[in-house]
Amino acid sequence: MTTLSRDQVREMMGEVLAAQGKELPANDDAQLSEIGFRSLDFSELALRVEDELDTELNFDAPGLRSIETVGDVLTFIDQLQQAS
Amino acid sequence: MSEPTVIPAASCVLITGGTKGLGLQIVRDTLAQGAKVATFSRSLTPEIEQLRSEHPERLYADSLDINDEAGGKAFIKAAADALGPIDSLVNNAAIGQDSMHLHTSPDRIAQIIQTNLTAPLVLTRQFIRHAMSKVGRGRIVNVTSICAQRGYSGLVAYSATKGGLDSATRTLAREMHGRFLVNSVAPGFFASEMSSVLGTEQLSTISRRTPSGRLVTPANIAPIVRGLLFDDTNMNGQVIVVDGGGSI
Repeated sequence: MTTLSRDQVREMMGEVLAAQGKELPANDDAQLSEIGFRSLDFSELALRVEDELDTELNFDAPGLRSIETVGDVLTFIDQLQQAS
Repeated sequence: MSEPTVIPAASCVLITGGTKGLGLQIVRDTLAQGAKVATFSRSLTPEIEQLRSEHPERLYADSLDINDEAGGKAFIKAAADALGPIDSLVNNAAIGQDSMHLHTSPDRIAQIIQTNLTAPLVLTRQFIRHAMSKVGRGRIVNVTSICAQRGYSGLVAYSATKGGLDSATRTLAREMHGRFLVNSVAPGFFASEMSSVLGTEQLSTISRRTPSGRLVTPANIAPIVRGLLFDDTNMNGQVIVVDGGGSI
């Protein structure tokens, strides 16, 4: 299965935020709470990634709760891709 | 016209998922009332083995997956052979969920519905067929959840199954027309395996929003189940919420 690179996912994350008039900081340490990236935004990002991969990335909520930064999002998506 | 018959107190109770958590608490409480108990779970625990050694004549326990329909039928027969006719059922066994609906696979949804709704309905049918033929009447308690009445994120399929059981409770109570008392007990969130998947912050938030200030424990639920199994309450087709007032 092909996987998306961290940069590609980052670009998609920026698109999710841009659709709401928000901007994705360049810093991976940026806190999601500060940039307004909420759990449903993560869902939207995951669905966009699924569309690109043409496969589902199903996951439980506990993993999502530990995500706090932009870097955490990219890492989690990467882990989902590896697990699928 | 003959007087309606009071459904007698339970004397032999089948409790599903009785090897740990709430199920184990209900097993202990039911044994303490002097009744016989048959229980199963996917695997037995040291706790249930200990109880079995303490009550060899009153406790029958075996490992069984509730989704094993043939196994359920065989279990009822074996338990009745060991203990005598079973006149009451507590549907407690269930699996949890902690995933948003859009990220829950169809297979997982099917598994939750199978385990939490279809399997209890099939077992209830088997139990009623047994109890009708052996003793003619009895009591059924379905352990459901506050999730059936209030919305909680991450529990769509789980909530649907519990709501389904609450609906079945009402319909079965009507259908069995006084031969069986059928009720649900709907706990709020409690710090058991079911809610351990919730984050500390979530549990803390739920506690703060609960008027009693604390999450429900198995010890809170057992007396309600006890009343439905043993007391002459004339309660039938009802859902009793035990959640510290969190849903009011």
